[in-house]
Amino acid sequence: MSEQFAYPSDREQSSADRVAALERLLIEKGVITGETVDKVLAYFESEMTPLNGQKIVVKAWTDPDFAARVVVDTPAALSELDLPEGMAGAEGEHLQAVANEPGVHNLVICTLCSCFPWPVLGLPPYWYKDPVFRARAAREPRTVLTEVGVQLADDTEIKVWDSSGHSRWFVIPERPAGTEHFTEEELMSLVTTESMMGVALAGQPV
Amino acid sequence: MKLQHYLGGLEGLPAPLTLEKRVFVEEWEKRIFGIHVAMMGLSTHLDSALPAYPISEVPTEFRDEWTWASLRTGAEAMNPFDYFKFRYYEKWLGGISQFFVDQGYVTEQEISALIGDPAPAPVGGDPAIDEQVIDYLRRGDSPRRDIAHPKFSVGDPVRIADVPAGSHTRLPGYLRARSGTVTRIFEGDYGYFVHTGDGIGDPMPIYIVEFTPEELWGVRAEPGANTLYAELFEAYLQPIEEAK
Repeated sequence: MSEQFAYPSDREQSSADRVAALERLLIEKGVITGETVDKVLAYFESEMTPLNGQKIVVKAWTDPDFAARVVVDTPAALSELDLPEGMAGAEGEHLQAVANEPGVHNLVICTLCSCFPWPVLGLPPYWYKDPVFRARAAREPRTVLTEVGVQLADDTEIKVWDSSGHSRWFVIPERPAGTEHFTEEELMSLVTTESMMGVALAGQPV
Repeated sequence: MKLQHYLGGLEGLPAPLTLEKRVFVEEWEKRIFGIHVAMMGLSTHLDSALPAYPISEVPTEFRDEWTWASLRTGAEAMNPFDYFKFRYYEKWLGGISQFFVDQGYVTEQEISALIGDPAPAPVGGDPAIDEQVIDYLRRGDSPRRDIAHPKFSVGDPVRIADVPAGSHTRLPGYLRARSGTVTRIFEGDYGYFVHTGDGIGDPMPIYIVEFTPEELWGVRAEPGANTLYAELFEAYLQPIEEAK
């Protein structure tokens, strides 16, 4: 058993060395270029970030007609906004928003892998990919939410969405009370990746 | 029965949860993520994708199919102890580097010879390769195909199939043999990257099926008003004959 669960003492360095060697060989052999990986990373660092999701949520908070449309035909509603080209690109081919409302809280999970709405939120944080979260959120979402600081009324329905098909789900959280006079920028600052997957509320301290 | 298919609902796991909000916890993880995306964007199957990418004209030496199904099949084939032992991108690195060795792109000897080599990675290469990868990211690879002719209607009670485990599945194990209610039929049919061996691959309708916690977890269901929705291919649904 000890061998099964022992990590090498140079765990991270050996992975870093191996991936560096692999990338170098793939460049030398003409599979990718010397810039491919950096360009992929730049795409996610500069364009496909949670800023897109923040804009979508604040639009829904400030435009009730948009809020109604975005949960019915999410791609069509998103095409109205000033967002980067590629919202229907990789892992955004079939986006689907669900909205929290009084008495209903949505939670998005992926028990089989890590399906995530890349164009809306960028790449998934580690907690979303954690087997413990994926396993427990399916069975005991209320307990899991309490542990991470989301206290819901006992009669609030929790809708858990397991991303096993083609859709990539995200949550429109509820607009916090007392934000009527906030600017759009102030409102956007309340919206976290976690609140758009349902493991936090908008405006919840992080 | 594969543990990875039955992750949803597994009991006895650590509590309380804390959320690791970083996307990458080590710098090297970014590199394997980028390599995986490049492979998806250069995959030979993209010539038959909905934006018919001119993949055969892209000047890359990559000449294989590589999709999410490739990565997932590898993860589902792992020793389940290892699945829990290794971090997300450690699993990617293991699966992807093994693929390149198995397919003859690189050898273990070549990798070993470079370990600890301080020389910087080479620069250059044909920019048309990168243009294809970014074009794939912007335009995607939708599985939607034909107009659907769904067998089931909204409101229908359905029982989830309990077929033998394939090498890969999109059926969460905890739903097997459980009963639920169809709440939505998506427009169109949806293919899958591969034929998984458990019924999906060819274009077919996809449904949202609603389950009660009591149906899924019995007396050990968490108290409270919870509902679980899963998005399921038609092949995973069976009709329930109404008792006459």
